[in-house]
Amino acid sequence: MPTPVKFPRLGESVAEGTVAAWLKHEGDYVEKDEALAEVVTDKVNAELPSPVAGRLVKILVPADQTVPVGTAIALIEEEGARAEVAEEARAGQSESGSVAAAQPAPVGEQVTSAAAVQRGTSALSVAAEAVTAEPHDGQQPGERQRISPLARRLAREHGLDLNEIKGTGVGGRVRKEDILAYLEQRQLGAQTVQTPAAAVTAQPKPAPTTVVSTAAGAARGPEPVAVGPDEEVIVPDRMRLAIAEHMVRSKRTAPHATTVVEVDMTAIARWLERNKEEFKRREGYSISYVPFVMKAVCEGIRKVPLINSSWTEENRIVVKKRIHLGVAVATDSGLVVPTIHDADQYTIAGLARRLNEVAQRARSNRLTVQDLQGSTFVVNNPGTFGTILSVPIINQPHAAILSMDAVVKRPVVTEDDAIAIRSMMYLCLSFDHRILDGAGAATFLQAVRAKLQSYGPEIDVY
Amino acid sequence: MTAVTYLEAISQAIREEMRRDESVFLLGEDVATYGGAFKVSAGFLEEFGPERVIDTPMSETAIIGSAVGAALMGMRPIAEMQYIDFITCGFDQIVNMACKMYWRSGIPLPLVIRGPAGGGTHGGPFHSASPEAWFFHTPGIKVVMPATTYDAKGLLKAAIRDNNPVLYLEHKLLYRLPELREELPSEDYIVPLGKAIIRRHGRHMTMLTYGAMVHQCLKAAEQLASEDGLAVEVVDLRSLTPLDRQTIKESVMRTNKVLIVHEDTLTGGVGAELAALLAEELFDYLDGPIMRVAAPDAPYPYAPPLEMAYLPGVERIVAVARQLAAY
Repeated sequence: MPTPVKFPRLGESVAEGTVAAWLKHEGDYVEKDEALAEVVTDKVNAELPSPVAGRLVKILVPADQTVPVGTAIALIEEEGARAEVAEEARAGQSESGSVAAAQPAPVGEQVTSAAAVQRGTSALSVAAEAVTAEPHDGQQPGERQRISPLARRLAREHGLDLNEIKGTGVGGRVRKEDILAYLEQRQLGAQTVQTPAAAVTAQPKPAPTTVVSTAAGAARGPEPVAVGPDEEVIVPDRMRLAIAEHMVRSKRTAPHATTVVEVDMTAIARWLERNKEEFKRREGYSISYVPFVMKAVCEGIRKVPLINSSWTEENRIVVKKRIHLGVAVATDSGLVVPTIHDADQYTIAGLARRLNEVAQRARSNRLTVQDLQGSTFVVNNPGTFGTILSVPIINQPHAAILSMDAVVKRPVVTEDDAIAIRSMMYLCLSFDHRILDGAGAATFLQAVRAKLQSYGPEIDVY
Repeated sequence: MTAVTYLEAISQAIREEMRRDESVFLLGEDVATYGGAFKVSAGFLEEFGPERVIDTPMSETAIIGSAVGAALMGMRPIAEMQYIDFITCGFDQIVNMACKMYWRSGIPLPLVIRGPAGGGTHGGPFHSASPEAWFFHTPGIKVVMPATTYDAKGLLKAAIRDNNPVLYLEHKLLYRLPELREELPSEDYIVPLGKAIIRRHGRHMTMLTYGAMVHQCLKAAEQLASEDGLAVEVVDLRSLTPLDRQTIKESVMRTNKVLIVHEDTLTGGVGAELAALLAEELFDYLDGPIMRVAAPDAPYPYAPPLEMAYLPGVERIVAVARQLAAY
């Protein structure tokens, strides 16, 4: 039985994407993790690695077609799959067993059902995740929203988020009248006054058949009304819409609380001043404050593991044992958050190297599927834009997010009651108050600060 | 001009076609001297003579078999089953001979088999059959079932003029029903085979039905309109083969909910095929499950209370329709 290759979830808020080009033809042999196709979503262009080694027997989705995340886009016949099946059949084992055996999860990983619940924990390798792409989008099968076939089609045609619509049928089923009532309501809302900001929640998701383009964007959603002569209407592109959706969802999902510490970065600042150029010349990539903060974050997570967790829909807290740090990167088309997997395993120099790699890939639209999956915590660095205090919104389904603002020289009172000029930085942590309280958040921040302030004049970044 | 019954309309259709075309003739048990068990052919022997109105032995195999032979020779026989239940005795002649003749030899087989079908008349297990599903399933024969007096005449005329075997199922409960009395056009007309008709328009639900159940559905629709404010569309299929897929689908695409009602038993019935067709072709248009009201999978009962419980009636149709509307 051939293995289906499913369209990967490239980022938490991405519901669909486009197969931009096939890099392999039907009949081609592919290695595991070899690039199969180029895929495009509103967030990223990426190469899709093959989940298994084998022969590409069937391309199910032609290039330039947009499909929902999780759609099977190709079939790969694994090497020896037939023989295996035959053998196992002889041994009296089930065929499904052979398929599972053909895609072993990496050592120490959990099985797929657990991975579906802990989506984003990266318990499975990306390839495996692409194969098992969550069928219920995190929901238990029993809790599946009830939707009539017609309602599902209408919602798709109108680009509606079914989660926004209350079903009035038996068992809360969403049916025709619910969709029509919703559309009518939306129409009325659009006609009276300009839509309030909160109505962003009710904004339709991108229409399913379009690729990134503002022209396509114009076709979706309610017509804006009452545009004054000195006003201009911008139709957000898909990335903007995806970000909007994700931000609103995060704010709606997690009760955000924010806490701030001030960190004395003087030692690091001085070290950077002295070593930055040399480091760049020697290593070929630059080093900044960010890898220091990332390293300190890993330290903090070790002290307060709850920071690296998720609140599930079943009201459980899933604590992630591995630390995959997302780093927010501003690109021309918007914000992306590539992941540095197992960040705690790197030295500061190693983190700097990984950071350079993903940032470069992000800016050149070359992020891979792996780059965008499985982060467990995000470090955001608005300080590059000169801000001194930023309150970030959590990247769902994380427990918290850290913002590092600009390192600026300020007169501060030192421990020995002298006034000195120090390089100071605010670290701002927004956390999900369901998961932990202010004390836990503060403990984490203290640990991060302690680590950052622990450096002397000579810093071993290796 | 006077209003005629459903039975008189059938009688008129045969008489007019026999007058119009000499190759049309009637054969069956007691059709000549007695004028037919239900008096459909009363007076025919006098008008058309014993060569065109033929009393046969009590053998459906012989009746249908000789009709097949006559049709092969260019005649247009109308073979009457005294009760449609007895058609099973001639089953082989229909499904193996009549249905396959044109397929095998390219020779048209203009043959009408007709007879009283359906229950509600305390006829018991041998005089109440709804045999349409057997023939609906069999390629090579058209199956029609009129629900009104106008259609009874028009469909039978169309059947007689058709060059294929046609099974024409008369619902005996409707034969002399006073409310079905109707003034028919004085001029010649037919109701084309393969055309359904919407008996009542509505936007909340489509009832697909045929035969006597059309009237049950119309009553149920009336009740649902007054008590529930539901606008139910009632589609009378009239022809099961050929099936008017277009009318069916257009209606369902408007209403998005379907209730299929037939008097025949549930399993493997016409409703099952309709449901499969809609599920395959209109899945995205369905706002609820395709539901069916039919007789239970049991032989037709004799005892009147059982018969009452067995036949789909207004009460059951209304109950299931409400369930579907709330889905």
